[in-house]
Amino acid sequence: MSVALDRSLAHGVGHVADPDAAPVVSLRGITKIFPGLIANDAVDFDIRAGEIHALLGENGAGKSTLMNVLTGIYQPDAGQILLDGQPTRFVSPAQAIGAGIGMIHQHFKLIQAFTVAENIHLGWGETPVLISAKDIEDRTRILAEKFNLAVRPEARIDEISAGEQQRVEILKVLARGARILILDEPTAVLTPPEARELFKALRQFRAAGNSVVFISHKLDEVLAISDRITILRAGKKVALREAAGCTPSILANLMVGRDVVLHHARPASPHQANPGDPPPMVLQDVSALNDRGLPALTGIELELRAGEILGIAGVAGNGQRELSEVLTGVRPLQGGDIVIAGYRVPSSNPAMFRDAGIGHIPEDRLRSGLAPSLSIIDNAVLREYVIPPVARGHFIDHGSAAALAKRIAKDAEVGIPSFQMPVRNLSGGNQQRLVARREMRIAKSVLVAAYPTRGLDVGAINTMIDYLVALRDSGVAVVMFSEELEELLNLADRIAVLYEGRIMGIFNAKGADMEEIGLLMGGKTKHGERVA
Amino acid sequence: MAFRLQRLPSVRPEIAVAAHAVAIGLAFVVGGIAVTISGHNAFTLAAKVLTASFGSEFGLEDFGLLFGPLMLTGLAAAVTLRIGLWNIGAEGQFYIGAVFATGVGLFFSGPPWLMLTAMFLAGGIGGALWILVPTLARAYANVNEIITTLLLNFVAVLVVNYLSTGLWRDRKQSVLGATARIPYEVPNLSGSLHAGILVAVAAVVLMALLIRYTRWGYEVRISGANIFAAHYAGIPVRSRLISVMLISGAIAGIAGMLEVAGTVHRLQGGISNNFGYLGIIVAVLAGGSPIGVVFSGFVMAVILNAGIILQAQGILLNDVLAMTGLILFFTAIGEQVAHYRIVATHVVAQEA
Amino acid sequence: MFDLKNPSRRKFLTMAGTAAGASLLGNTGLVVPSAYGAGALGAVKEEDAVIAFGHVGPISDEGWTSTHHDGLVAVKAAFPKAKYLEIETIPYSADATRTFRQFVAENATLIFSSSEYGDLLAEVSNRAPKVAFMECNGHRVADNFSWYYVKHWMPTYVIGVAAGLMSKTGKLGYVASFPVPSVFTSVNAFQMGAKSVNPKATTQVISINSWFDPQGASQAGTALLDNGADFLFGIMDEAAYLQVAEKRGIPAAMWNTDVRRYGPKSYVTSCVVDWRKFYVEQTRKRLAGTWTGNEQILLPLGEGVDRDAWGESVPENVRQTADAVRTKMLKDGFNPFAGEIKDSAGKVKIAAGEKMDDMALYNWNWAVEGVTGLAT
Repeated sequence: MSVALDRSLAHGVGHVADPDAAPVVSLRGITKIFPGLIANDAVDFDIRAGEIHALLGENGAGKSTLMNVLTGIYQPDAGQILLDGQPTRFVSPAQAIGAGIGMIHQHFKLIQAFTVAENIHLGWGETPVLISAKDIEDRTRILAEKFNLAVRPEARIDEISAGEQQRVEILKVLARGARILILDEPTAVLTPPEARELFKALRQFRAAGNSVVFISHKLDEVLAISDRITILRAGKKVALREAAGCTPSILANLMVGRDVVLHHARPASPHQANPGDPPPMVLQDVSALNDRGLPALTGIELELRAGEILGIAGVAGNGQRELSEVLTGVRPLQGGDIVIAGYRVPSSNPAMFRDAGIGHIPEDRLRSGLAPSLSIIDNAVLREYVIPPVARGHFIDHGSAAALAKRIAKDAEVGIPSFQMPVRNLSGGNQQRLVARREMRIAKSVLVAAYPTRGLDVGAINTMIDYLVALRDSGVAVVMFSEELEELLNLADRIAVLYEGRIMGIFNAKGADMEEIGLLMGGKTKHGERVA
Repeated sequence: MAFRLQRLPSVRPEIAVAAHAVAIGLAFVVGGIAVTISGHNAFTLAAKVLTASFGSEFGLEDFGLLFGPLMLTGLAAAVTLRIGLWNIGAEGQFYIGAVFATGVGLFFSGPPWLMLTAMFLAGGIGGALWILVPTLARAYANVNEIITTLLLNFVAVLVVNYLSTGLWRDRKQSVLGATARIPYEVPNLSGSLHAGILVAVAAVVLMALLIRYTRWGYEVRISGANIFAAHYAGIPVRSRLISVMLISGAIAGIAGMLEVAGTVHRLQGGISNNFGYLGIIVAVLAGGSPIGVVFSGFVMAVILNAGIILQAQGILLNDVLAMTGLILFFTAIGEQVAHYRIVATHVVAQEA
Repeated sequence: MFDLKNPSRRKFLTMAGTAAGASLLGNTGLVVPSAYGAGALGAVKEEDAVIAFGHVGPISDEGWTSTHHDGLVAVKAAFPKAKYLEIETIPYSADATRTFRQFVAENATLIFSSSEYGDLLAEVSNRAPKVAFMECNGHRVADNFSWYYVKHWMPTYVIGVAAGLMSKTGKLGYVASFPVPSVFTSVNAFQMGAKSVNPKATTQVISINSWFDPQGASQAGTALLDNGADFLFGIMDEAAYLQVAEKRGIPAAMWNTDVRRYGPKSYVTSCVVDWRKFYVEQTRKRLAGTWTGNEQILLPLGEGVDRDAWGESVPENVRQTADAVRTKMLKDGFNPFAGEIKDSAGKVKIAAGEKMDDMALYNWNWAVEGVTGLAT
């Protein structure tokens, strides 16, 4: 489903590790139980020397837990870890790395205010006791060349891109002598070119006889990079396959446990807007500042239409966050006007936008869509606590609030043991579904969905897309932000391209020129010149 | 086998209660060893503390006179914690509440019920005014409220000293500057235990209900849990922040009014008894929960009351302070330890 | 004054409250009948006696509180079989009430409060009619309550004479605590003594709002010296400003005890107090059943209060002149506090020919001419 990934790189499938070699690491019957949840249920998993072994599964299938057991972050409740055939158990990640097993987590564990070189030398037994900044930078440079990972030793972590931070994490692990590298969803933070660079580095690492465990729920990239694929579902191992001979749909079926429809373009909306009605929302010459007070949006002209999905394409960081916030009243305007259903909005106010029937699935649900430490009920009523029956005058009716939470959970098909538990105890996918359902309830005229499928597995993505389409068909104007052009082309009726805070062009999705859109996303026209 | 600690994201309430109990128990064990070394019988002393606190009318009154203000200042600190802010200035708001109440009580006259109501309101207004500048600075200029509220405590002490030894000084009292005796007194319940403790309980219950059952309280909780989510939902965070801070200041000011009109009857330096600072500890031990303030305020009142009893038994003040510190120290550690559980592990086999 | 405005209401509330409380708590069965007084105010056997001391500062202050602690030690030596309770550093807050109540709960027979706690102490004594209370520097009496103090103004006047003679500029500095009568009297006596030998003498006062604050006292001393003072006096519980004076080579007089070791060159003398004899005597009376309340006791010069032996740097003529005044007080009953006395605003307060008596001196609450910095 990702066009960003170069299919030609799939040649790696041809590489085969010696199937008869004894595995370097072998997990036998690993079981890990959390209160109320069996995260791993008697899972077997082998890693051979010189292979890239993918661990595939939906969110919450137990992939990260299994690797956290291997690296000593969790202790298994049952099962055995064999390292080179010897039973072993790691008490801490430091012991795992000492035995040559290093893990790169989805959320990097680097110190923002330190330089690359300092991060690499931090807590490393081989760091000399007395050493100058220049010395560790030189040492870092030598390491970077040795492992062919481009990093700038003197740069501070908060100055460098996510891709470079990931290289620092990898270098940190390799410098400590890792022969087994575990990567948890490594491409989630990378641009397509960065992902290509990463895959190249991983293949080099494998070529030297080392092993890689590649955790992912993205079928295309798993097929592109791995030699073997272990599939987990609901904490159980359901299959181990050679990558050669697998197809995305085989993997998807194994992963989800049912037949899923992939990549289906939806039929156009049956909704017919009444020509006399004003558009649900119009942005006129809108400009806005980002959090640091710098211009983020300039001269935005945008008209939303009832019963259509408007896709916003663009590379991340070109004003998407600010545009989604302007559309939902969260961010004040610097200039220009917003006209909702024919009425000019005097000033931006999310409560007023909510009352006007504008829903908002935010980019980062844990940061802005939910209060993680509060209960599921509290989070479920975030949009409706001012409206009866949850609101009773100035009071909150807890009975109605609980009923609303149950209703949203039921609509979202999320099973919840206790509605009093903090919402952060739910998996990311379930949080996203709850937020989406909550917002759909109030989205009577507009739904702004920022990266609604990000971090979701195949099954959840399909559910989410079904939500959006159903909403569109009921006459709601849907604005969908995505970095995946293919997804937008499949789903949207129109596509607007955002680059450096400007709308570069708006296209009908049907018959759109993908090449032209791709160029505009990079700030270039078809004729090669840069757009001012 | 080896053991390691594992941190849990949230603590089950029964575990938290057990951790507190164990912590207090440990502090008593250490304190007991210390007094035994200093030549006292720890068990006799412990029995003494219990009988003196809860077995006599005097002890119960003293306990109540500590418990009431501690609940109020604890509540003042706890409500700001609900919106993620720290009111370190309850001490100053307590004093200024006492100043306002004293001013009304000394310079106006009327029927007692009316005057006490006026003094009550004046105390609340005084406390709220004293937190007003830190509140506005926080709301509009994002100035850290910890520093501003703290610094105003020192100003409040100077204001009280200025008034009690200067402008409002009673020419008859010696040794220490104090105002004349305020002719209006909070009615007593038993002996010298006045009705302030009922006000404190009512305030705790009222705040707990407000936070749990009103839209305002919901908005405060969301704002405290995730300010970005609050903005996203269109909650007027700034206005909630202002109201919470002012309420906090008013509660501390009312505590000051009750102390001056119910217990001390004159405005003079030192009447706060550090209740403002102790309230921060009470609130932290309560985990920011208004109802929790009742329990942690109770523990703190027992500790403070025990301190006086122990001094009468010949334990030196410094040793009593050390023991008080020890109990709070252990409780704070217990709070953290409750987040961990011990898991058994095998020692790693170190093969190549 | 104000507490008398509405006595019936106050009394009614207290009584009603006590009755209600007693029944409320009494029914629970939790409450042991309170020990409001172990026996009548009659004679007490030494082994049954409990003598309690409550102090405002630390007994290690080498000043005010240590003089009272010395008193306790003397009482203990005289009546070794009695039980003793002592609590130091009692704040001027409701904690004071709690502390003295605890003494009562411990069956105290006689309670000495070595500083005035006023209402905070009265709160306790009113409800413990069978316990004898003695409040140092107090202002109220009752059947179970007396107060005591020293005529410190006499030695202070003598110290003032020495200061007037030793100061070259006539600018004297005074480190004060609060603008309360004992401080007014001390400052006035000092200023009047100095002025009697040095007509241009003036006294500048700085109040630090504490009886025990070594740092504040040092700062005040420094400020006074910076302002041109060349003699320091004060009424602190400890000796911090003497060290400032020693460093600057300025003479200074002190209160409470002989502290010359902190500034041997600067030390002039001290208004020393000694409670040992008085405390032993009061305790003996209490045990014998002859102690009475309603007493107002001021210990005279030479019996509990005096100047200390002169410091090494005090010139012979100063010693002689000042001691001549002291002798006149002791032998001839000389009272220097005689009219005409003007207040600091220049208004005649005591007409020529009038004399201030002991109670007038004890309750003095205005500053005399020549004093600055003490609010009237």
